[in-house]
Amino acid sequence: MTAIFVLDVPENEGVVRVAEQDAQLQVEKVGPYFRIDAGGGEIVIDRRATGCRHAVWYSALAGLQDARVAQHDKDALRVVRR
Amino acid sequence: MDHRVQGVDHVAFPTFDPAATVRFYRDVLGFPVVHSICAAGWGPEDHPDFIHFFFDIGNGDRIAFFYYFGFAPVHDGERGDAYASFGPDVPEFFVRSRHLAVHVDDEADLLEYRRRLDASAWPVEMQIQHETIESIYTHDPNGYMVELTRALRPVTPQEDLDAELTIDALCEVAAEPDPSLEKLLTRKAELIVERAATWEPAVSR
Repeated sequence: MTAIFVLDVPENEGVVRVAEQDAQLQVEKVGPYFRIDAGGGEIVIDRRATGCRHAVWYSALAGLQDARVAQHDKDALRVVRR
Repeated sequence: MDHRVQGVDHVAFPTFDPAATVRFYRDVLGFPVVHSICAAGWGPEDHPDFIHFFFDIGNGDRIAFFYYFGFAPVHDGERGDAYASFGPDVPEFFVRSRHLAVHVDDEADLLEYRRRLDASAWPVEMQIQHETIESIYTHDPNGYMVELTRALRPVTPQEDLDAELTIDALCEVAAEPDPSLEKLLTRKAELIVERAATWEPAVSR
């Protein structure tokens, strides 16, 4: 159950929207956070698709569940199973 | 417990160039001089005579300086400020970390201070929009980094919760060997599960 948490604030809407459009990912609400679950796979979010500016992009991640960040640069966030 | 404090009374820095300091804060930025102390020594025998002078930075908060008579700069290092210098082994991000940020209400006010600085000997070096703020930066005549900043939106209650969870996770992770962002985010996810699921925003803040 590799998953990440993202806080529900306007700046993170793009990240959540891209995750919701990805059939491999499950998005659910946990309090004021979104939990993005990759099941047994990995989470890949394309930064340009989110529309996030850089400062927002690099501070979007709020939590890692059974997860490790394999890539978090100007192109993408890729989170894999730990 | 009660939160009884009322903001910054003053923050104080040494200066070796009071004339330029007054030009920058009073004449360029328009921060009024609101207080000064002319002191003949202070306590120990070897303490020089000095002037302690204050500028208003809004809300009655103040930035203050010490000018010591007959006291030469303590270093001639090129990196740093009037207070301290840094050798080549200290990375730039660390040298640039300490700064004073003064709040303004809106874009018009931020741009007004940008205009004042750009017409002076200390023009704006950077204008940056972060997540929820917009800031301009320069260095004062003493080398101290000064930021003027405005909020792009109010901080939401869930950001206060998020900050609490981050800091609790940070204190735990920083007390262990080899702290890292990954360890913090892993611990923070546990705290989110424990505490965020049942969290509800306070009705009034």
